[in-house]
Amino acid sequence: MDSSESPTETKKTKSKTPRKNKETVLKQKSPAEFFAENKNIAGFDNPGKSLYTTVRELVENSLDSAESISELPVVEITIEEIKKSKFNSMIGLIDCERVDAELYDDYETEKAREKRLAKEARAQEIQAKNAALGKKVKETPASKGIRGRGEASFYRVICKDNGKGMPHDDILNMFGRVLSGTKYGLKQTRGKFGLGAKMALIWSKMSTGLPIEISSSMRNQSYMSFCRLDIDIHKNIPHVHVHEKRENKERWRGAEIQVVIEGNWTTYRSKILHYMRQMAVITPYAQFLFKFVSDAPEKNVTIRFSRRTDVMPPVPLETKHHPSSVDLLLIKRLIAETSKQNLLQFLQHEFVNISKSHAERLIGEMGPDFSPKMALKSLTPQQLVRIHQLFRQAKFDDPNGHCLSPAGEYNLRLGIIKELHPDMVATYSGSAQVFEGHPFIVEAGVSIGGKNVKQGLNIFRFANRIPLLFEQGADVVTRTALKRINWSSYKINQLQDKIGIFVSIVSTKIPFKGTGKEYIGDDITEIASAVKYSIKQCCVQLKSKIVKKMQAREQQERKRNLSKYIPDATGAVYNVLKDMAETQLHASKKFRYGDDDGELLRKVYENLITKETLSEKLAKHVEQVDYEMALEYATQSGVSEEPRETIYIKPLETENKIIDLHSPFFVFRMFH
Amino acid sequence: MTESITGSVLITVLFSIRSSAQILSPSRVKISVVIHFHFTPTLCPITAHLPSMAESSKKRRRTNTDDLPFKNKLKPDSTILQTLKDFSTSSSSSSSSSKTLTLQDLSLPFSCREVSDLSLSSVQSNIESLVLRIAHSILSGNGFAFDVPSRAATNQFYVPELDRIVLKDKSSLRPFANISTVRKSAITARILQLVHQLCIKGIHVTKRDLFYTDVKLFQDQIQSDTVLDDVSCMLGCTRSSLNVVAAEKGVVVGRLIFSDNGDMIDCTKMGMGGKAIPPNIDRVGDMQSDALFILLVEKDAAYMRLAEDRFYNRFPCIIVTAKGQPDVATRLFLKKMKMELNLPVLALVDSDPYGLKILSVYGCGSKNMSYDSANLTTPDIKWLGVRPSDLDKYKIPEQCRLPMTEQDIKTGKDMLEEDFVKKNPGWVEELTLMVKTKQKAEIQALSTFGFQYLSEVYLPLKLQQKDWL
Repeated sequence: MDSSESPTETKKTKSKTPRKNKETVLKQKSPAEFFAENKNIAGFDNPGKSLYTTVRELVENSLDSAESISELPVVEITIEEIKKSKFNSMIGLIDCERVDAELYDDYETEKAREKRLAKEARAQEIQAKNAALGKKVKETPASKGIRGRGEASFYRVICKDNGKGMPHDDILNMFGRVLSGTKYGLKQTRGKFGLGAKMALIWSKMSTGLPIEISSSMRNQSYMSFCRLDIDIHKNIPHVHVHEKRENKERWRGAEIQVVIEGNWTTYRSKILHYMRQMAVITPYAQFLFKFVSDAPEKNVTIRFSRRTDVMPPVPLETKHHPSSVDLLLIKRLIAETSKQNLLQFLQHEFVNISKSHAERLIGEMGPDFSPKMALKSLTPQQLVRIHQLFRQAKFDDPNGHCLSPAGEYNLRLGIIKELHPDMVATYSGSAQVFEGHPFIVEAGVSIGGKNVKQGLNIFRFANRIPLLFEQGADVVTRTALKRINWSSYKINQLQDKIGIFVSIVSTKIPFKGTGKEYIGDDITEIASAVKYSIKQCCVQLKSKIVKKMQAREQQERKRNLSKYIPDATGAVYNVLKDMAETQLHASKKFRYGDDDGELLRKVYENLITKETLSEKLAKHVEQVDYEMALEYATQSGVSEEPRETIYIKPLETENKIIDLHSPFFVFRMFH
Repeated sequence: MTESITGSVLITVLFSIRSSAQILSPSRVKISVVIHFHFTPTLCPITAHLPSMAESSKKRRRTNTDDLPFKNKLKPDSTILQTLKDFSTSSSSSSSSSKTLTLQDLSLPFSCREVSDLSLSSVQSNIESLVLRIAHSILSGNGFAFDVPSRAATNQFYVPELDRIVLKDKSSLRPFANISTVRKSAITARILQLVHQLCIKGIHVTKRDLFYTDVKLFQDQIQSDTVLDDVSCMLGCTRSSLNVVAAEKGVVVGRLIFSDNGDMIDCTKMGMGGKAIPPNIDRVGDMQSDALFILLVEKDAAYMRLAEDRFYNRFPCIIVTAKGQPDVATRLFLKKMKMELNLPVLALVDSDPYGLKILSVYGCGSKNMSYDSANLTTPDIKWLGVRPSDLDKYKIPEQCRLPMTEQDIKTGKDMLEEDFVKKNPGWVEELTLMVKTKQKAEIQALSTFGFQYLSEVYLPLKLQQKDWL
């Protein structure tokens, strides 16, 4: 479905340009134009994925917005299906009846119809045969007519949050100008490029032509901003329809964004729901309400992901660059932006891990034409190159992870328990490590069992606290879990157990592979080994639990398991004895065996000792051993098998009449 | 002069047999006697006439083989034969002069466990006394336990003086009333009983037979096989003395005559497939041969090529294969041949770590059967080919070489640490080359120059150059 629809899209856009280009004309392209033509970079490959990405970008913006003011996020997301006729009336187009049916792509020719009917008849026949044979009848999907290209589905996506809101005057640029954003600093953020919401707008403009609607209100703001705008793709500037202040009686704060786009709910339904679920895992402190509304009530979906904790990870701090991670261009930009005047101050204040004495030593190392007090403006391009070279070669302390804000082991565990209800879960939070001057933290969780979990490995990947759903195969987490973890050594069955693996990586710069920001490559050894270590740590925790469980089970089944083999063992022994007894008698070699042995064989021969005698004796021994071992187990692990939990029950009313019955050892209190 | 006459007499006899459609068994016996008579005093007379012997099939086979690479380097067969003869006599004299060491001759810092061939009655009485002990133990209410020698890797030890792996004497208790050993001890008891029956009746069964007597208990054959090894280790006898044999796996063809259960077998007349090596070696005896060496082949395919081309007639030899990892019977057979005929053994295996591993199993024993390594190992096997250095020497094209997998490389590196490789500097060099180039090749890679390249050029050239390690 994906591939069938996207090529037609791109063909349309491409076919226009070359025909006009008779002679080569130098043209400029605005960023908006570029992204409109290369939508796939931002995850708008096809209508289905566009719907998914739109939901995703809006949700992530909402979370960022709420977290930035340390408010527990409440996000409501609604997808409304819009029928074609309704859509036409929205844009003021009158429905046209088809006159020339053959003109349309989905026109069914006489031949095709015959073919289809024959196929359906055959299918029915098979089904009837199956039913007659008593086989399980698979529900054949109701035969749909051919769905033509023109039959697009439209959706209104509404996302409402309780976040910071936006300043009245900034709204225009925040939505109407590609590559403008508030998240450009060096810190851990969900979004990065200032693309998300704008791409949704570009997509809506491309597919429906309808503008985006934004309502927003900030703290202590008496009004509510309302804005309806679209984007001028060629100039990369907002095109405003309405921009006004409205009454805000309820003192509501937050933002609500409405956009109408083409999409495909049927194919991306599960992806979107997965996304919401995984988002709920990694942000258990947020409350999500997800609704899908359509004309057909049976298709409607409402899911509430409720809040389980009010502990929020701290807001990630903006940090300075690490000297080993900067390039020449960045040095130039930092010099242009800094308020510091001389080189010493610049080195000391604009980078992490360079102290004053360290900076002096570095300057000394740069060469004779450098001095601590030299003005930044006087640095020649050659000198900048020298600084860059030194930054690359010199040794600096690794940046620490203080600027990062991982989900936290507690939140990760809560999220897993909340959404999966596993039998067992273990989590681990690693310490900060470094890759190319950027600190990163890996957290992992491994769960066993749970509802809605498939057998085998279920991998949940998070990068900067957003779920990654696509391109799982090449990802570092998938590769590690599949190839580098020996599950059986942790008593986990890789194929039979329901294993959930959760790995969250946060960093000031996530080394995504590919354009779609959908996976982290397997070629970075620092990250790969950190991921492996974290998963292993979880497994070690789980192993002790699993072993305990197995022991407990073994405890219950030991006697049965031991007794099971009694007939085999005694049968074998008895048969040998019997054979011996018989041959002894025939050969009458009484002195072949010692007294005891001779006596034993005689008894066997006279049926005084039978197989049953042996079995009885062995069973008694087994019983005794079982008893001893049970006793040993009990003394080791305590009598109760499940850990006890203290429960406090509050009295219903504070003023209760009570009677205390005293005894030398206890008090028995009765409530009336 | 008389010698050559006897030779030609023999050849005519052989020919007449081959051409006659029907071979009557009395005549066969008679012929073998003739052969016996002429072969035993000296090894040389036949060889001079051998090329003429193969002449009839020569026309068919050597039509356009002259363009084979390295073919021109080959000297006439008679020259090669002379080198082989020298080698054969020198190796037989050297091996006969040095007496084979046993464990008792060495004073090792730890005690070792070795088994010996026991008669049926002593196996039976061993089992009986063990069972009696167990019965007493059960009746006195103490359950029972087997004391089973450990065959774990930690309990193995390579003795360089003997050039084989031996088993140390650590053992582990296998009590019945323990959840982790209950199954094994029940199986052990059952196997003991089955072997006891075999002893009473004096018959042989295969491992598969044994397994099928109680499938429900054994569950799969690996379990009964493992316990069988434990039992023979526990009773201190070889597995063959338990009267349990494995199915026939190895085959032999070439210039060898031996008796199998009283029937004389002439391995030159066993057709293309050769004679299956009998599972119980005690039936085999009266080995006679005029071969100059034994050629050990890893694979069935290469074996077939050599057998069909009657390689053993061009260069008198005995060709043996176990089709992969050798079974006990083949190892015993090889050992017996080596001991009785006193011939050098040359090995043709794949150029990969597993080829060398197979070589090592023949040479110094497998870890699984180390308790019986004295009977199972054949000392002084030469690595003839295909060696890693041959790949370049014989210009085997790239497309016939395979890249080694990570697992292969790991195995190769592990083997470099093994003592049996280290003792032979030539092998170390070859293996290092293999790990370095990360390339492996099967014997069949030689077929790239024609299917008969192996028998026509490669092996003769190797023999001519005495290119073995």
